[in-house]
Amino acid sequence: MKKLFKISLLVSVTVISFVIFYYSLKANNKNNPNIMLNKPLPAIELTSLVNAHLKQELPLINRDKYYLINIWSSWCVPCREEHPILMKLKDKIKIYGINYKDKKTNATAFLNKLGNPFYFTGSDKDGSISIEIGAYGIPETYVVNSQGLIIFKHVGPLNKKIYLRISEIIK
Amino acid sequence: MRNIFLIILFFFFIPVQLAMASTEREINIYKNIRCLVCQGQSLNDSNSDFAIDLKKVIKKKIINKKSDKEIYNYLTERYGDWILFNPPLKINTFLLWGFPLMFALLGGVFLYIKVVAPHLRQ
Repeated sequence: MKKLFKISLLVSVTVISFVIFYYSLKANNKNNPNIMLNKPLPAIELTSLVNAHLKQELPLINRDKYYLINIWSSWCVPCREEHPILMKLKDKIKIYGINYKDKKTNATAFLNKLGNPFYFTGSDKDGSISIEIGAYGIPETYVVNSQGLIIFKHVGPLNKKIYLRISEIIK
Repeated sequence: MRNIFLIILFFFFIPVQLAMASTEREINIYKNIRCLVCQGQSLNDSNSDFAIDLKKVIKKKIINKKSDKEIYNYLTERYGDWILFNPPLKINTFLLWGFPLMFALLGGVFLYIKVVAPHLRQ
């Protein structure tokens, strides 16, 4: 009887440990880019890419129902890929651009050539503004509501699927 | 002439070296921060753009007299506990912290029953 108890105890401990470790291994151990979702956008001040005297503070409270923030750079190939989608989105929503570690001449040449979808473009020369809002890299896109909450975030270039999703959110 | 040039060069680079050097406190923080771009590495080991930017932000916070806790809070608010190599004790990390202690205790009890107790009986 005592032996049976010992064996069943050993078996149950082994099985429980196996289940815990199995599910822990299967769990998504990668970082979660959506940690900022439904949280207030941290306060940032953008300095215009073209005119250093022009400033724009974000978040904007009770101004627009929704607005979009896009982190981009002229040297970033995926940013070039997603640019036509931003051009389509600019008719639906105000887009605030954060120009990440870029040269002013290259950035303006990029916008002159491919079109400017941004209502305001701020410069992030040292990458600190992007870190302030919890960015991982570029391109990255946020949808912010009138209360200043980040209601949608996408890491990587925008595609048709994400375009439709954003259009649905801001409808 | 060459020596004078070298001496001038040496003194010219001292401020640059001092500005770039990381203090022990900074390095300790960097070692506990995961580089989110190259996830196996700590911030201290990584030279990715993200790591360099984050190091600058941390350095700035230290200059602004922020405590280690405030810096870690700032980072976990934006990137989650995953950014820390040493995750804090919470309900969802209880097993992680509790298991080694539990196994040590069980091992101790096992050793006591199997090794110490028979000797005491004798």
